[in-house]
Amino acid sequence: MDVKVPAGKPAFLNPFEVETPKGAEGWQGLYRYYALLSEERRAFEEGKFWFFDGMHNPEPLYPFDTIMTDNWWVAASQMSTRVWALPPALGIDHRVINGYLYVSPNAVTDPAKIAERAEYFTRRAGYYFENWDTIFTDWKAKAQDCIDRLRAIEFSPLPEYEPETSITGHAGRYSSLNLLQNYSRLIENMLEMGSYHFEMLNLGYGAYLTFREFCQNAFPGTADQTITDMVSGIDILLFRPDDELRKLARQAVDLDVADIIMKIQTPDDILVAMQESEAGRTWIAALEAVKDPWFWYSTGSGYCHADPVWMTDLRLPFTAMRGYITAIRQGEDVRRPLDKILERRAKVTDEYRSYLPTDDDREAFDSLIELARKVFPFVEDHNFYVEHLHHSIFWSKVRQLGDVFVAHKFFETNEDIFYLHRHEVYDAIYDLMIGWAVGTQPRGQTYWKPIVAERRRIRNILAKWTPPPALGTPPDTITEPLTIMLWGITQETIEEWMGIDAASATELRGIAASAGKVRGRARVITDPDHLYDIEDGEILVCRVTAPSWAPVFPRIRAAVSDVGGMMAHTAIICREYGLPAVVGTGFATARMKTGDMIEVDGNIGLVRILDGQGT
Amino acid sequence: MSADPMILWLDDPAAARNPILGGKFSSLGDSTAAGLPVPPGFGITTCAYRAFMAETGLQEDAARVRRICADLPPEKITAQTRDLVTGILTRPLPPALEAEVRAAYAELARRTAMADVAVAVRSSGESEDLAGASFAGQYETFLWIQGADAVVDHMRRCWAGMFGDAVLSYRHNGEAVAATGDFAICVGVQHMVAARAAGVMFTLDPITGDRSKISIEACWGLGEGVVKGDVTPSQFLVDKVMFSVLKRKVAAQTEEYRFDAAAGRVDFLPLKMECSEASCLSDEEVLALARLAKRIEKDRGAPQDIEWAIGPDGRIAVLQVRPETVWSSKAARPIQPVTSPISHVLARMSGAVSTTKTPS
Repeated sequence: MDVKVPAGKPAFLNPFEVETPKGAEGWQGLYRYYALLSEERRAFEEGKFWFFDGMHNPEPLYPFDTIMTDNWWVAASQMSTRVWALPPALGIDHRVINGYLYVSPNAVTDPAKIAERAEYFTRRAGYYFENWDTIFTDWKAKAQDCIDRLRAIEFSPLPEYEPETSITGHAGRYSSLNLLQNYSRLIENMLEMGSYHFEMLNLGYGAYLTFREFCQNAFPGTADQTITDMVSGIDILLFRPDDELRKLARQAVDLDVADIIMKIQTPDDILVAMQESEAGRTWIAALEAVKDPWFWYSTGSGYCHADPVWMTDLRLPFTAMRGYITAIRQGEDVRRPLDKILERRAKVTDEYRSYLPTDDDREAFDSLIELARKVFPFVEDHNFYVEHLHHSIFWSKVRQLGDVFVAHKFFETNEDIFYLHRHEVYDAIYDLMIGWAVGTQPRGQTYWKPIVAERRRIRNILAKWTPPPALGTPPDTITEPLTIMLWGITQETIEEWMGIDAASATELRGIAASAGKVRGRARVITDPDHLYDIEDGEILVCRVTAPSWAPVFPRIRAAVSDVGGMMAHTAIICREYGLPAVVGTGFATARMKTGDMIEVDGNIGLVRILDGQGT
Repeated sequence: MSADPMILWLDDPAAARNPILGGKFSSLGDSTAAGLPVPPGFGITTCAYRAFMAETGLQEDAARVRRICADLPPEKITAQTRDLVTGILTRPLPPALEAEVRAAYAELARRTAMADVAVAVRSSGESEDLAGASFAGQYETFLWIQGADAVVDHMRRCWAGMFGDAVLSYRHNGEAVAATGDFAICVGVQHMVAARAAGVMFTLDPITGDRSKISIEACWGLGEGVVKGDVTPSQFLVDKVMFSVLKRKVAAQTEEYRFDAAAGRVDFLPLKMECSEASCLSDEEVLALARLAKRIEKDRGAPQDIEWAIGPDGRIAVLQVRPETVWSSKAARPIQPVTSPISHVLARMSGAVSTTKTPS
């Protein structure tokens, strides 16, 4: 999967020539020195190809949220560079530019080095493939244990006096150190889960990618999503939250309390109304029974603290339930027909297999699809464990710590903590410990508020800037499997980006992520909070589609995103809902406006603007 | 039914695989029997041809011509066949034969509810059955023939076409097959579809041999342009499993073959402006054609090459079905040697270059 790009002058804007939006001067202060472009490394940084990671981080990074990008900068990269020793690829480098994350894969080009790495790689990756099921079982236990330890971490304000138990238990450690240790545990717990995140991921993608490539050679032109459908799981954790909503909708109809959900707008009012009847209380009990873990479900990628989570924001689940209630009342069975989906998958697979020219090919097809299906449950399920369950709980714990700072008058609200880098939070905790121990006012009570206000102002300006899809010099080859599979960056994408004038293009090309062709009005969503504005029959246009947006999918006609490959989290859900989707268009949110009449062709990955009447 | 019928209808149970209909028409008999939308028609059988040649005594001259023409250079053939061809075109027909042909045309007019129903009159030779010898385009075909007199006249022309210099000198594997064999010909008379669009389709991708695809070439008007090659067809590639249109390449078209009422014949005429840039097939039509192709391949158990047309009423007609010959005669080669799946995956992740069958 080498990607050839014409050599020559940089085809994209030099990263050093990116202008800071007016009023956002000093944005670098929000981030650490190692994440910024610098004069000392200028030649190196100009020579690299940087592409915008809008898939995971569509918005400017909050300083605290860089724990997520810092994590995979190491955790994903080390797997390729040091753990597997992937022969042609090292890790993926990061830079923050105007608050947005740009990433750049590193290739290995020295043949001797590639050969040396191949020996390590074959032995080590081979071990994982041979023992995949056992390792995945262990992985789930490790992930669950990590999540359990995260749940146990609690933050509370420092007490006026140390409790009696500190005396009678004579541990010799007090609330100050406990706070600091809990914070350290929280950060380490996040980085631990972050490490598990990538333990098996590249290998899983590699096995899938190989099967896909075999199919592309055997059946040239077959849509990517058709190939994925032959492999993808049916009963995966990622679909469980939505399945639970379908069941809750059914129960609401059966208990005759569905009207409360249909007629009352806000979740809080719905819950109050439910409490008034026996049936309503029964329904609430059913809701409470499934909330943990299934409502630890992020409406974004899970990497940003601001993405609403169902557990704490019930608007999206209630919106979805209304759709299901309407369907049930019209006599539909809203349960996913698992048997039919499985039967269909088997039929499709058998038919492609029958078109292979030789028995050898059928044998290769059988063995490659078997391996791909073996690794796929990890690929799909890790997403729920890591990005949804773990990260959503993690953000709730950070907010709890934010509350501690609010109680000690460092911050106005618990949101303010996200304007501090995690290392600054460590300082602030120590500052708080000093004040508490000494009995004086900690400097933090006056120090942080103006900084938070200034950073919020700067970030709001950065949020209005449109990051170009790529910067710097395109590489001769792209060998890093994640780049291709997750971000969908191939020769075609790069060439497309080079040839497009974002302001005037009427056709955008991307990856055909889900088949079908429709026309409709665009709804451009750049802020997950505006998800609720979507009207029936509109086409969702966003920087990145997130799997937990699933509940709005029954209302939309198609989805278009700036970023993403066929393995992007959402492509999976889009296919499940049978909606046309084109991902990785590069410019859709910049080029289109809500109200534009557009045509989405998910068969070939093309989006056309028919009538740019939007506002 | 007599043992040697002069007329055999396509929907007659005896039509399927009946050699007296020649290669092309007996295949259409199969298709009709399989329930495919084949326009109605009948064959003036090889028995009719042989009866005519016997009764007129022309068969001896035919045998003489064949004997000597096998070794003649093409430019010298015409002088030897002149009398024979004139004889075929002018000698009286056996009265029973002529009456049957006229009655069959009248019956077709009745079936189609059109008094002077337009028909295609096509040669369907026995020799087409020769394995691998396609005789592509060698025999006569006449489009948009109306009235019994004209049908009779063009039947004779098809017969005479057996002795054209191109046919007699047609060689397959170095042998002048038509000249050396005692072949007869059937003349197919079939309701003419006034095609809005037409073309050919293969139940595989003819470029890669990929059997999971259906490839369609189409043009506005009659399909002659695609078959002859003087119209650049629009191309469509359909996934045979998922029934999605994977590729569309719409070719601009300025002229089409259609019936010119004033001139009384099919001509290559300018296309209406609004059509020239537009796709001659909607996605729905592409998929309907693909479904039909898949069904035909399934019935016949091997890849097929199908001529089709879409009538003014939007209905699809199957004009010809024959086995695909290019990929079907090639020895199947494995796509990609795979030892064990794990070592294969490891090799790929190690940066091994995959062997792609065809450049994309």
